[in-house]
Amino acid sequence: MNARDDDTLTLYDETFGSRFLLGTALYSSPTVMQEAIRASGCEMVTLGLRRQNPASGDGDAFWQILRDSGCRLLPNTAGCRSAREAITLAQMSRELFETPWIKLEVIGDDYNLQPDPFGLLEAARELIDQGFKVLPYCTDDLVLCQRLRDAGCQALMPWGSPIGTGLGLMNRYALQTLRQRLDVPLIIDAGLGAPSQATEAMEMGFDGVLLNTAVAKAHRPVQMAEAFAEAIVAGRKAYRAGLMQQRQTASPSTPTVGQPFWHRAGS
Amino acid sequence: MAAILTPGTHHIAIAGAGLLGRLVAWQLLRDGHAVTLYDAGPLDAPPAAAWTAAGMVAPLCETSISERCVHDMGRFALTQWPTWLEALEAPSLWQQNGSLMVAHPQDLGELTQFRRDLDHALGGDSPCQTLSGSDIQRLEPDLAGGFHQGLYLPDEAHLDNRTLLSRLLEAIRALGGECHGHCPVETFPGEVATAEGRRHFDLVVDCRGTGARPHHPSLRGVRGETLHVQTAEIRLSRPVRLMHPRYQLYVVPKPEHRFVIGATQIESEDRSPVSLQSSLELGSALYTLSPAFAEARILEQGVNLRPAFLDNLPHVTHQQGLISANGLFRHGYLLAPAVVCHLLAEIRGHGDQPFADILAARPPQETTA
Repeated sequence: MNARDDDTLTLYDETFGSRFLLGTALYSSPTVMQEAIRASGCEMVTLGLRRQNPASGDGDAFWQILRDSGCRLLPNTAGCRSAREAITLAQMSRELFETPWIKLEVIGDDYNLQPDPFGLLEAARELIDQGFKVLPYCTDDLVLCQRLRDAGCQALMPWGSPIGTGLGLMNRYALQTLRQRLDVPLIIDAGLGAPSQATEAMEMGFDGVLLNTAVAKAHRPVQMAEAFAEAIVAGRKAYRAGLMQQRQTASPSTPTVGQPFWHRAGS
Repeated sequence: MAAILTPGTHHIAIAGAGLLGRLVAWQLLRDGHAVTLYDAGPLDAPPAAAWTAAGMVAPLCETSISERCVHDMGRFALTQWPTWLEALEAPSLWQQNGSLMVAHPQDLGELTQFRRDLDHALGGDSPCQTLSGSDIQRLEPDLAGGFHQGLYLPDEAHLDNRTLLSRLLEAIRALGGECHGHCPVETFPGEVATAEGRRHFDLVVDCRGTGARPHHPSLRGVRGETLHVQTAEIRLSRPVRLMHPRYQLYVVPKPEHRFVIGATQIESEDRSPVSLQSSLELGSALYTLSPAFAEARILEQGVNLRPAFLDNLPHVTHQQGLISANGLFRHGYLLAPAVVCHLLAEIRGHGDQPFADILAARPPQETTA
């Protein structure tokens, strides 16, 4: 279920009808993953090759399933802890999947898998120079995001909260600031656990949502993929429609002019 | 159900001398058939996933990461294994002391999530019990003291799988089974092709795991890595699983102070040696469970491929003169009894054919056998 045709997402001059990007790890079986991808309506799926050795043709069966999904593949550099490591893996991914797209991850902390802003920026600069279409997974720090944009990233993927936590949008202030100050597409990546959180991100004006665990680890992943797809469309529509301003006092939707004075507030 | 074979004794070929192949060969010999068993590798230390595996029969543990039917087939295994081991005169290979699941204080959410997933899968009546730190100490006094909460999964079992595989081979030979190691084969309806040529059989049963790729385009291998260590400094009475946000590793006690720690699960068909990262993860999980493992000796690093269909469930496919059983994935010892009993009932043409709704269904995305 995609948004209207005139409201497409553009990343690096390519347009997407869906604003939902789905990860391909943690499913109980490839069949469940295939069905979840289908139900999500997503047009781009992420995949990691850190621990596979596909250079020798291994893991082909699994890659083929992803290719058959018809989605654009977005390889990631998950598990990399330095710029050098991430660059090497990005180059391997480009060769293997014949795509310049890369979701750039450079992990700075082992436990909460927080991106390393310094290594990330270094790797992003190098990969952009090499002609990659870099989607950096970053924290919600404004200056980091500005630097990534200045390095040539045409879209950014700030976190909502640490990977796999399901805590949602932890720092609304920082995210709001990013939205106001940056005019590149922003995709909330990581930390979303509930469809309502995805709606919230979309209502704030984010351009898309990337997630994995919340769908893959649901009791019914296919149903959850659908729920997120609908939530993302709802949030996007609401953003485009323009949310009303919140007020402290009640403001009745029915005109009160005709009411007897003893029913009025304060009487 | 129509019998595959006419009454009387028949000559049956079995391709693949892993766990399934051996069980089926043994049972068919007991039925009075003549059986020829082939394997591409050596028979005394077969290249089968069953040799690398830890030999757990843990229907509850596995349910949280698979489907309800895996649990049901696993419960079937809990009753079937003791019967078979009795018949093999090896009941001591079976240990049914339940299993233990622990997590570090910062990862307790993993235990809660596991329990929720299990309750959901079993419809709210999961028999697992929450344990305090002292409960854990009572069950496994040699574990590290830092575990304040855990889960006990009653009824779960593990078996000494390597000895079992050897005992099955002995039983097959004792019953007159013809066994060929180092003999790769291709299977056809009523025929087996070896390097020497083709040989006719009344029935061919294909249990080759990832070796049966030619018959199953959607079959894939999923890499798993294990460590075998030995130390007399620690004793465990049951498998212990360490829950962690990014991996679930279990250590299973084996005879002679041996332990198997496993297993990674990587979508790759690479059979090259254990990676440094996996080795570190497996090793540190052991060390975390008890510092006494620090001086354990690493006897062996295991790598193998789990044969899996796209739904990660086993399937038995059948055409005239050829039956294939495959796709036991990470659940070899858990699912083998259900798969073997299903297959035998099909060959015999009588008796209950358990779990037909799953096992007799075609593997997803395979339209022809």
